[in-house]
Amino acid sequence: MKKLLASLLVLFTLPATSQILTKEDSLSAGIIARNTATVISGYGSAKYSLETRSKIARANLDRVIVFLGHKFNNKISVFTELELEDGKVTGGEVGGEIALEQAFIKFQATKSIYLTAGLFIPRIGIINENHLPTTFNGNDRPFVETFIIPSTWRELGIGVYGNVAKLPGFNYSLALVNGLNSADFESGSGIRQGRFEGRDANASAMAVTGSLLYYIKHFRIQASGYYGGSAGLTKVEADSLQMSYGAFGTPVALAEADVQYQNKGLSVKALFTTVQIADAGAINRAYGSNTAEAMIGYYGEIGYNIFQLTKMKEKNLTIFARYELLDMNNKLPANGLFNGANDQQYIVCGLTFQPIKGVTVKADYVFRKTGDQNPALVINPFPVGPPFYKNKEFFNLGVGYSF
Amino acid sequence: MELATAFKRMQDRREFIKQSCSLCIGLVGLGTLAAQLSGCASLPVLKAESNNGRISVPITAFTEKGKVVIVRNAQLEYDIALVKISDSDYTALQMKCTHQDNALTATQTGLYCASHGSSFDLHGNVTQEPALAPLKKYRTEITNSSIIINTK
Repeated sequence: MKKLLASLLVLFTLPATSQILTKEDSLSAGIIARNTATVISGYGSAKYSLETRSKIARANLDRVIVFLGHKFNNKISVFTELELEDGKVTGGEVGGEIALEQAFIKFQATKSIYLTAGLFIPRIGIINENHLPTTFNGNDRPFVETFIIPSTWRELGIGVYGNVAKLPGFNYSLALVNGLNSADFESGSGIRQGRFEGRDANASAMAVTGSLLYYIKHFRIQASGYYGGSAGLTKVEADSLQMSYGAFGTPVALAEADVQYQNKGLSVKALFTTVQIADAGAINRAYGSNTAEAMIGYYGEIGYNIFQLTKMKEKNLTIFARYELLDMNNKLPANGLFNGANDQQYIVCGLTFQPIKGVTVKADYVFRKTGDQNPALVINPFPVGPPFYKNKEFFNLGVGYSF
Repeated sequence: MELATAFKRMQDRREFIKQSCSLCIGLVGLGTLAAQLSGCASLPVLKAESNNGRISVPITAFTEKGKVVIVRNAQLEYDIALVKISDSDYTALQMKCTHQDNALTATQTGLYCASHGSSFDLHGNVTQEPALAPLKKYRTEITNSSIIINTK
């Protein structure tokens, strides 16, 4: 009761300048005269997926995110995003996740430069920063940007973002964040499981990441990179595991380049990325994870908004097709085992329908082709475990929103 | 043994640097190609004073081919993209993304948010989400030799 009264007291004694508004009519739209505002928004998506060979269907509330931001003044704001994945989380059971996707303070240094500090998403690839369901085609985010670039990839650190005043269209970013944890790398998902994502990160390993981005006419051209340590160990631990340690010990390097074109309903995207882990052999010796020394991935996508042929140009019915290639065995250390299951190709095609801005209905078909699974790596072979098929097809239906 | 490991690591780094450089060269090539295609890589940036919320931009700031001039004023938090729709019609857009307040980047074809990918056409309408609301417009007036932007 005391807590309730205290909460009410806080609510009724808030400064008169504080407001809770939707994003469209608050600080984003800039229609309020005062310099402070609190914003609530969010996004989410749900999906039905049918795997045609086994006829097994699955329905899942993939994610719901609540954004809460506050602008303290014209220079300082805070941004937070709380995410629930897979509908619910139950203690003691596997599945589901509640996590903070972002929680950072933004300092506007000049008109052209701002700084971030906290848990934020570095500019790497396309999807990492732009992952709202209303901004990409298909129910699933591109697989290259899930398993090679482990989106959504956020870490704790500080970053500087800016644009060059004398060259409009040119943007850059540079950030220092905590490194990865190579002890959690897994064959088949690359460095994905090695992310700390803000939870008790071992900051003895550090990473530098940066990007160059240029807008010209209808093109968006970007290159980004990441270089960081993945063994925040003590000297004794590192010596015992025969790994290099320190801020950039057992380094992971990632490079990426992408180009996007968008005009009159036509959209084209292409992305190439590579991950290099020179000490993969040492990681495998220490943790037996079958980590690759090099992985590469690329994809290309083309889409067209059919409504551009009509008078209803503000609506969106995009037909699209995407080809993706993931080579996660590109280079293996001497103690690595080739697994054809990690060489994957995808063809994704389908429709994205937006009756209004902020709402999307998606239907797509996914064809996945892999190489042969290495039987030496199968712990539970069929029929104890599920059968492995090199070719799989999925039909997906989903909805998403963002406001 | 250690020498061999160090040599191998050096080779791996060389390979990574080689691949990264190839990427960069490719990008620079693409950028150059795009710049060649556009014939005009950057937009004119005009630093203008405000007189009681009124900013005057000379009509001569617009080149023959260019239809966008970026107007910068020290008192304003965001730049303004002044767009020439026709000889008698100009639109002044606040270069502030309606998604999360980030400063926008302008080209001759639209305005773009580097942070989350939102884009707007030269009328301020959203062409790519996540932004949902159009850009804020300032009133404009045309005199004999200049365009007046009313920021109040």
